[in-house]
Amino acid sequence: MSKNVAIIAVKTCAAVTLALLFLLPLWWVAVSAFRPEADIFKYLSPLSVWTFLPNDPNWTNFQRLFSGAFGTAIMNSIIVAAVTVAVGLVICAGAAFALAVMEFPAKNAIFAAMVISFLIPFDAIAVPLYGMMRQAELQNTYIGLILPGIGNGLAIFSLRQFFLGIPKTLREAALVDGLSWWAIFTRIYLPLSGPALVGAGLILFVFQWQAYLWPLLIAPNPRYAVASVAIAQFSNSFGVEYGPIFAGALVISLIPMIVIAVLQRYFTASVAASGSKE
Amino acid sequence: MSSNGSIALWPWTKGARRAAGNSGRNQLWTALLFLLPAAAAVVVIRLWPALSALHASLWDTRREVYNVLNYSYIFTDQVFLGSLRTTLLFSLIINPLQIGLALALALLLHAKLPAVGLWRTLIVLPIAIPQSVSAVVWGIAYRPDGLLNSALATIGVDPQRFLTSPEQALPSIIVLLSWVGVGYWMTFLIAGLKDIPASLYEAARIDGLNSWQQFWYVTLPQLRRPLTFVLIAATTANFLIFAPVQILTSGGPQQTTNLIMNEIYVRAFQTGDIGAASAATVVLVSVVLFVVAIQFRIMSRMGGGDE
Repeated sequence: MSKNVAIIAVKTCAAVTLALLFLLPLWWVAVSAFRPEADIFKYLSPLSVWTFLPNDPNWTNFQRLFSGAFGTAIMNSIIVAAVTVAVGLVICAGAAFALAVMEFPAKNAIFAAMVISFLIPFDAIAVPLYGMMRQAELQNTYIGLILPGIGNGLAIFSLRQFFLGIPKTLREAALVDGLSWWAIFTRIYLPLSGPALVGAGLILFVFQWQAYLWPLLIAPNPRYAVASVAIAQFSNSFGVEYGPIFAGALVISLIPMIVIAVLQRYFTASVAASGSKE
Repeated sequence: MSSNGSIALWPWTKGARRAAGNSGRNQLWTALLFLLPAAAAVVVIRLWPALSALHASLWDTRREVYNVLNYSYIFTDQVFLGSLRTTLLFSLIINPLQIGLALALALLLHAKLPAVGLWRTLIVLPIAIPQSVSAVVWGIAYRPDGLLNSALATIGVDPQRFLTSPEQALPSIIVLLSWVGVGYWMTFLIAGLKDIPASLYEAARIDGLNSWQQFWYVTLPQLRRPLTFVLIAATTANFLIFAPVQILTSGGPQQTTNLIMNEIYVRAFQTGDIGAASAATVVLVSVVLFVVAIQFRIMSRMGGGDE
């Protein structure tokens, strides 16, 4: 018994140490973001408690960050991600609905073709796609930024999986009642699929929030730059401004964490609900 | 599909079938309307660019014929071959490293420990951050006067060059990417560990197996599905690494971090050699699809064996 306690104590110590080690870079970002720029390297060497604790927290870096082009970049990122999620969910849920619920020839072949095509890694074909989109004059437009995100194989796959679990009798009854397929989709399937839609929305959101190569290519104009690209350009330019970089890194990192933390509740709730149903 | 197993619903399945029959002709067209936007996205955003890369890689703009000159050029070009070698070396180091660490973390954090969820979350956190942001932050930490050198100084180690040293640049990028990815792979392995029936461990204990033997004969074989998934997913993800290289080293110093995505980017946008860039793209897509195909084969064989 006491041997077990000892094992748990050792394991807990290891877990805490490792977790803090993983947190350290982020913690350092957060502390540096709230520190006057001149102090960021001052407290770095020699290493002291003040390297990792704020001594005079203030918002100067954030004020400088948002007075520049970065505010626009964050807004662009939010617009691109929000439109991608909204449009992408309609498109992916529609396809998933047809593939899960409706009957038509070559259904499985179409599903397979779609899944296989989406396995082509997007970043690998970003360069030829850029050539196409430039010809279509979609350079430096929101449409150019958003388009690659709206069709997502993983989102279609997971929604189809969820739709397959909705009892067939529901739609058979609805068809007898004379409901159209569109009505079955919007009034029966979508309302029943809240958690699955949240999950698919998260997939679409993360794709856009993480994107780097594509926005770098398609939106060279700073007016359309997204946050993940803008912050890299901050650090490449002459006379690097470390204060705003840390503040920017913190803002870009916190937004997805907040989104995931808020939506996590839906996830666990959905898992609990589906568990009790079965 | 027939409505099997609905005898109780017999009176109105008949009606349903009639209704479905009525709409049967229209159902194809309705289904196509539902499918069309996603199908268009697949074609425009994946298939067409892939085919256009294939076309551009084979089309000889000077002689206006198809040939394989772009391929014979890149496969004799020292910079491209060097990039392939670097990518291969990188894959052979980073994938076993990430999966080994992920497995070790999963075994540790699978146990019932106080506040274990919090420790897990902290380790998974970096995956939520865009890779470009992680690269920028680690780039500052790797500076000569950065966080890492001052940490080394406290244990009496001389300052290191990290990203500007041909020996340390690639390992430095591997460390940063492992910080990003290890927690993510860990989550799949923890899920796999949860699926192992406790009875197997009980049986192993009764047979007198020690914990190392239990790991070797129970845990590892039971984990082979999630491990295979993680291995393939990590391999494909790591073939496509771009942001850290482009932001931190531009492939240098001395081409030691010139991973294939950076090579394609440089060919297309700095050298302006679209033919060679397209050929390199086709090589990359083929390699990735090949790896994914292997995954499907292994997973389906395992699935058949398990059920």
